[in-house]
Amino acid sequence: MVQIDRHDTDILIIGTGGAGLFAALHAQQSAPEGTRITIAVKGLIGKCGCTRMVQGGYNVALGGGDTVERHFMDTIQGGKWLPNQDMAWKLCEQAVVRIHELENEIGCYFDRNPDGTLHQKAFAGQTADRTVHKGDLTGIEIISRLMEQVLARPVEKLQEHRAIGLIPTRDGSALAGVLFIDMRTGGFRLVRAKTVLMATGGGPTMYKYNTPSGDKTMDGLAMALRAGLPLRDMEMVQFHPTGLLAGDHTRMTGTVLEEGLRGAGGRLLNGAENRFMFDYDPKGERATRDVVSRAIYAEMRKNNTSDNGGVFISMAHLGPENVRAKFPGMVKRCADSGFDLAGGLVEVVPTAHYFMGGVVVDADTRTAMEGLYVAGEDAGGAHGSNRLGGNGVANSTVYGGVAGDVMGADIRHMGALRDPCPEVLQSEIDRALHPLSRKPGLVQPLRHALQEAMWEDVGVMRHAAGMERGMSRIGDISAELMEVGVAGDDLAFNLTWHDWLNLRSLCDISQAITLAALARENSRGAHYREDFPETGDLDASYFTVVTQTGGALDVRRDPVQFTLVRPGETILPEDAPETLVAAQ
Amino acid sequence: MTATPPRLTVTVQRGTEGATRQETFDVPAYENQTVLDVVTWIQQMADPTLAYRFACRVGMCGSCAMMVNGEPRWTCRTHVKKVASDGQLDIAPLRNLPVIKDLAADMDPFFDKWVAAEARLHPSAGRGDDFDPVTSQEPARAEADLGIECINCGICYAACDTVAGNPDYLGPAALQRAWTLFNDSRDADRDGILAAVSGKGGCHNCHSMGSCAQYCPNDLNPMRAIAGLKRETVRAAWGRKRDA
Repeated sequence: MVQIDRHDTDILIIGTGGAGLFAALHAQQSAPEGTRITIAVKGLIGKCGCTRMVQGGYNVALGGGDTVERHFMDTIQGGKWLPNQDMAWKLCEQAVVRIHELENEIGCYFDRNPDGTLHQKAFAGQTADRTVHKGDLTGIEIISRLMEQVLARPVEKLQEHRAIGLIPTRDGSALAGVLFIDMRTGGFRLVRAKTVLMATGGGPTMYKYNTPSGDKTMDGLAMALRAGLPLRDMEMVQFHPTGLLAGDHTRMTGTVLEEGLRGAGGRLLNGAENRFMFDYDPKGERATRDVVSRAIYAEMRKNNTSDNGGVFISMAHLGPENVRAKFPGMVKRCADSGFDLAGGLVEVVPTAHYFMGGVVVDADTRTAMEGLYVAGEDAGGAHGSNRLGGNGVANSTVYGGVAGDVMGADIRHMGALRDPCPEVLQSEIDRALHPLSRKPGLVQPLRHALQEAMWEDVGVMRHAAGMERGMSRIGDISAELMEVGVAGDDLAFNLTWHDWLNLRSLCDISQAITLAALARENSRGAHYREDFPETGDLDASYFTVVTQTGGALDVRRDPVQFTLVRPGETILPEDAPETLVAAQ
Repeated sequence: MTATPPRLTVTVQRGTEGATRQETFDVPAYENQTVLDVVTWIQQMADPTLAYRFACRVGMCGSCAMMVNGEPRWTCRTHVKKVASDGQLDIAPLRNLPVIKDLAADMDPFFDKWVAAEARLHPSAGRGDDFDPVTSQEPARAEADLGIECINCGICYAACDTVAGNPDYLGPAALQRAWTLFNDSRDADRDGILAAVSGKGGCHNCHSMGSCAQYCPNDLNPMRAIAGLKRETVRAAWGRKRDA
């Protein structure tokens, strides 16, 4: 009989990125006195996850002609009319409150104009200078300040606790608690709570090249899928065009070289060291992320590649000294890794960056399951088919705060803690223990195999035959994984056991991504079908919904509800200019 | 330039607090290879039980700091070529912290001291108020900016001999953060910060040996911040009399 430590709290938060930390602060403000709040995280508080890795900044309309309405319209158009409009609206509206909170209450200090107002810049796809930032390390400022505020508060902290299962009540009507592995001891811990926020961050790390933090492996969405929750927009994987390419054996590969390099005039060169972007788009290297990613991918298919199979980014023509002055962080990072960004050529490749899909939620972060709330990258809907640069951290902080407020209010109407279904609890434990009963083998080659399959068959450019092949490859890898064991004699801080569980989550979600991508027979935002290259009828826009019942995945298409604005219309005043951004 | 040897000989500290041992691994060398990649290879290919910690892979989170050949470093941003001599590497958990297992140190004492140093904004305004128009042209803000890009990786804490000799000492990172807040015009409790950093484990323990500044991967200078705190705590103690 496996021992399970049982622990009770009132509000449980999983994840310590922008969403989780804001939820903890807001829950503390809104919940009745004496409410127990617990925050659990797979790594260290504020250190793992992706909020910290935000370079660009935080989108928020702060006047100067910009408005919440304009931010909203950019978000809807950027998402190609797929976003949940109520969520997108709340994102834009509450970002104004949240940025003031970050500055005045949390302690962030963002870059200023000479007159003391906040400096804002425009990212691609925005019609106003809207992105608040702290140099190009905005995420570090946001997460460090949030972390120190949460550390100083009486919130219970469960670090290096990996969530492995959402445990409902016996009748399945509500969530009773969450099963964790205490990674430091390898023991199981069941935490019951009246309300649970899932904010583990998505992170498409099932691709050969990917940018997210190494701890992110879609555990949250895999748990939600098993719990029967509907997942939307699962085909929507955003690729960043310029990930560092340094070989298969280094964790550096896939990490982002920032957007600003192309904006400043950086050139992309193929293997023969010729520029190629103008063959694909009149804006050349300054085209949007999706266009540049597809162009690089096309060059790679033609084998016009660098030594490691990508292309080059070249900055030297701008003057190495200028490049060093303008991008000190990027130049230093490349230099530490052995590359000369300022004066030489650096190999790059499109890299899976952000996951727009997620659990179906309402604008109050509530889900179909009572007691479960979802915010941040785990929640689908706010971005539709494409996330604008700067809308990611705005989304996680806005909705993390909303979740804290809503949980603090909802808990007042909830009675006792709920009893977990013993069968589901046992099956989640069995699932986690499965590899310990098999002959030990290597997990990493299977992870590589999955990443190759997703990159080749469900990646930047997709077609039905490739995705069918991809689905079958994922199935084979998934089956092989079930036969690969992990030695179970010492489970304390056993990363190989967690590598196995990581890959289990990634296989499950890869199947959901592929199924949704097959179901979307048009090309929108991040999802590009070579066999269906057209956008399709905007008025008849649908979003995909994947659910799992009895172990089988099912996909359907739900119509987008145009609750605030219909395609072809705008909520901006008639005389509003198309853009407020000065031409470059 | 010497050619990269085809193999590396890597000595790794194993075990838990009070029960550690050294183990040696033979690891393939690659052209592009960080110390984190070496540790990863050992865990993935040679010894599945090796424990270590990492997250972002790019020097933003500070989870992967370890002792490499006796010096604290971000392993994700340390190229093997820079530190391996004759293909030898020696890797241990971050100094001055308890070991959880193998290369994973317990960061809690480091963050407990962050809290003890009152290293967080004590707000003077709320979300309904305007932004403080202070700019980096103002000397106090400029002083705060010098230390604000700390990612709390613990490198300076591991490098500090005063921490090694005095477990109560708050350490360079927490004190530097306190100094940035002391210079933050928006903080409503700067007296409280000075009180927190002037006690038994406070800034006056610092002997200005400068290892913090020497090893900070972000080129910050906590020693300068601590000197500022020393000055201000003395001024606060005597100031009232002098200013009267």
